[in-house]
Amino acid sequence: MKTDTFWRHATLWPALVLFALLTILPLIKLLALSFHDVEWINREAVWDWVGLANYARLPQDNLLRAGALNTLIFAVVAVALQMLIGFILALLTTRVVRGRVFYRTVFILPILVPGIIIGAIWKLMYSYDFGVLNSLLLWLGLAPQDWLGNPDLALLSVIVVDVWHWTPFCFLLLLAGLESLPDDIFEAAKIDGASRWQQLRHITLPLMLPTIAVTFVFRMILAFKVFDEIYLLTGGGPGTSTEVISFTIYRRFFTEDQTGYGAAMSIAVIAVIAAGIIAATRATAGKGAKA
Amino acid sequence: MTYQSRMTATLAASALALSASLAAAEEAPITIVINQSPWFPGFQAVVEAYEDETGNTVELDVNPFAGSLEKQRTAVRADESPFDILIMNAGFFVEFYTGGFIAPLQEIDASFELSDDIYTFDDSTCWNAEAKTITCDGGDLLSVPVNPNVLILHYRQDLYDEAGLSVPKTWDELYENAKTLQTDRRYGISQRGQRGTFDVTYDVFPYIWSHGGGIVDQQDDGSFQVSINSEGTLAGMETYLKLANDVGHPSTAGQTQTNVIQNMATGRAAHINSVPAPGLFDDESKSMVVGQVAYAPPPGTAEIPSATPLGHWLAGVPKNISDDNKQAALAFLSWFQTDAAQRAYAEAGSMPVSRAVLESEMADQPEYRWMKAMAEALPNARLTFTFPEATQVLAITELRLNQAIGGEMPLKEALNTAAEEITKVMQDAGYDIPAPELLQ
Amino acid sequence: MTHATDTHTALTAPRRRRFTASERQVSVIRHLVLMSFALVVLFPFFWIVSAAFKTQIDLLMGKVLFTPNLDGFLDVIFDKTSDFARNFANSMVIGLISTFLVLVIATLAAFSLYRLQWPAWVLHSLLGWSVIFHMVPPITLAGAWFTMFRSVGLDNSYTGIILAHTTLHLPMALWMMGVFVRDVPKELVEAAQIDGAKVPQILWHVVLPIVRPGLAATGILTFIFSWNEFPVVLVLSQRQTATVPLGIGKYAQENTIAFTEMAAASTLSILPAFLLLLFAQRFIVRGLTSGAVK
Repeated sequence: MKTDTFWRHATLWPALVLFALLTILPLIKLLALSFHDVEWINREAVWDWVGLANYARLPQDNLLRAGALNTLIFAVVAVALQMLIGFILALLTTRVVRGRVFYRTVFILPILVPGIIIGAIWKLMYSYDFGVLNSLLLWLGLAPQDWLGNPDLALLSVIVVDVWHWTPFCFLLLLAGLESLPDDIFEAAKIDGASRWQQLRHITLPLMLPTIAVTFVFRMILAFKVFDEIYLLTGGGPGTSTEVISFTIYRRFFTEDQTGYGAAMSIAVIAVIAAGIIAATRATAGKGAKA
Repeated sequence: MTYQSRMTATLAASALALSASLAAAEEAPITIVINQSPWFPGFQAVVEAYEDETGNTVELDVNPFAGSLEKQRTAVRADESPFDILIMNAGFFVEFYTGGFIAPLQEIDASFELSDDIYTFDDSTCWNAEAKTITCDGGDLLSVPVNPNVLILHYRQDLYDEAGLSVPKTWDELYENAKTLQTDRRYGISQRGQRGTFDVTYDVFPYIWSHGGGIVDQQDDGSFQVSINSEGTLAGMETYLKLANDVGHPSTAGQTQTNVIQNMATGRAAHINSVPAPGLFDDESKSMVVGQVAYAPPPGTAEIPSATPLGHWLAGVPKNISDDNKQAALAFLSWFQTDAAQRAYAEAGSMPVSRAVLESEMADQPEYRWMKAMAEALPNARLTFTFPEATQVLAITELRLNQAIGGEMPLKEALNTAAEEITKVMQDAGYDIPAPELLQ
Repeated sequence: MTHATDTHTALTAPRRRRFTASERQVSVIRHLVLMSFALVVLFPFFWIVSAAFKTQIDLLMGKVLFTPNLDGFLDVIFDKTSDFARNFANSMVIGLISTFLVLVIATLAAFSLYRLQWPAWVLHSLLGWSVIFHMVPPITLAGAWFTMFRSVGLDNSYTGIILAHTTLHLPMALWMMGVFVRDVPKELVEAAQIDGAKVPQILWHVVLPIVRPGLAATGILTFIFSWNEFPVVLVLSQRQTATVPLGIGKYAQENTIAFTEMAAASTLSILPAFLLLLFAQRFIVRGLTSGAVK
């Protein structure tokens, strides 16, 4: 089979060039930066070589530790809840005919709204003194809660916002998956006398696995990068209870202007992610169904 | 900004414009980088008046507060800055001075002087590059103040009258007053304890200073000393916590300045310490307490009177712009410090930086009643951080103080931890600072 | 779980059969559940739209009954510093152009990788890197982008932001378009090649018709993500190039959050998406879901 070499290259190069220029090149720059401390004297950037000192500081950084842990908790709990609620709702609604246009319009809406607006809306709804939620609690005769100010509650409150924001998305994907399953399998199972639970356990779930996996991966990636919502909701506080990794990097690199240290942090995060992905790929490699 | 207050601002601006003849543009168009804030509308009105009066063009690049510092930083580090005037905050201006980014104003025009009426705010307008100190004595004039943000005490005049209270001079008196006015639906005081860029740290300064404490103090010889773990700071923080726990908001650790101002505006707080947003509480569309908020300098202790932290804003001209733009920037700043401009600024709802205006007959009018408190507080106002690593130190204090207030960490431990962390930052930055003596 | 399994009863039931009482009951419960979910989703929207018509103090006092006013909208649209119209136009320009670029580059690359016999290591390293980059918080690279763009005069330019957004969303597009391109039968491509068709012709006549739904799906997602993106534009843009999320973020001020203006700006920025939804709903749903299910 003769393939036109020119076109083979011409079709791939745009992506390669973009990745090289905008991801590899900055990464090399970050790497170089991570071995230095930068100071500005007389309008000149002075780079001091510090070797691995910036990396050595990472394990002691309490913000980074909290950020990494919270990011993990946030991503896992939020996505798990979204998948679970989304799946239950999807099971409930397959083949709803009446009102489907309405429902779907409603469920797409949150996805279209910038995270920054979501943050603003919920910040007011969570307000201790004026928020809708506390008004509701008072009306029910319950004690108002300090949703965003209580260190024990803040991360959970942030997770709830994310669940509100993204469950509809999971629901839509999972519903589409359910509706694409062939009817005849269920017919056959029913004739064989499979209970409803057995049908779910042995037919629906296995068949849905690819859709579930895609939805899960899609959401995990976004959850891991969370920034905008928290930016307005809590700014990482109280204490470090809602500090997430994007925030720690933003703070160290930009606000505090510790560019060398911030670069080391970025490189470390990228390295951990890369290692994680490679490990995950290895682990699932045998199971086929590679994307 | 409501429609109404915008109308007022526009009127004030056009009145000013009418008083002068329309002139053709003499200066190059300039761009000012500024952050969105409650005093911004007033600044905008003054800029419009300047444009009308002189025919010059001034573009305003308005940013969210959080991104403003980063914007300015990248601008001055570029080959050519897109901004001709930087509006720098008191917490961060030293970084720009130290880095050599700001053009001495008298190098642009040797005849330029800061008007005697304009506050220098602890000499923060000047910088001695050789000694690396903030001083007008042997230092170059680098900036013109544009806004005098300091914390002042806001209290409810109507409630004071009802209960027959007098304005507190000490924290103990404030505590008693707050206790008297506290009800189920009203907090005695609402404090800003949230962790942010410069939130809780700013809020605790009056408490710790008036107890003889501090965070990082500059000595007379220019060296620095970490004082966040001093007995004075501890005593100040204990006072802060006592107010928070007994008569304060149940969620002090979760309150931003926004919340604090909202609590006052909605009648939920009897006292707040806040930078004045004068127009806000007298605006019916924003406040339930129109005409009822009164102002005073923050309290102190019997030994040390009130001391309020400077959170003011300074306008500097970056070095990396063309000479024409520097001239144009200076022309605006010269004009800005005139009495007429400062009055227009106040009339448009912002706080002027002119002593003459703050102490003028304007201060007797009810709508400008905050002026007297300002004029009284400013002589005792102090700079908070006078070294370029302020942002790193703030990251520490914001977290540790917030943890102490939220009960996540015992107070002494929080102060000791902060002291150790700050010492580390300062030592790494090359300062000769001894290890802190921890509180027992 | 009983409801869940009831689903399959409904699934297997012949469509024309009349509903039994129990089935009708199930249907009612189903709608109740969906309706409550819809209300939970909708509530914040009702709330923010009503907030846009309130004064700040009515909003803070949590008033349910209030005199609607348009100050928020007037400020957002007409105030000299508001820039909302410009932000809106910027978001459109940046979103549309970067979406177009992403679609072209991703489709070409996916086709090249899966149908033009690249060695396996090329495929794996490119896709591997793409996934890794996609997982990395964009903020890690935003600083480096800023310095790079500035050194070539692209700071505060549409080009810079468009390039950044194109790169940011390329991994997702590459992944989605890869799924669709693999639907194109190898034999079809090979047959066309034997017939002497050049790659551009194959792309146009063979690939494009098959991946068109994929393009729609990927395009919609890319546009939405670009429209909503905040941290990167926060770093890269200035007033002239600021987008809608940045314009809205500006109402979170130093001392107060201008909630009325923020709500008004939010309402205005949701409006086009909402209209689009009303008219092209089916299309968007298919777009959104086809990536996962096809």
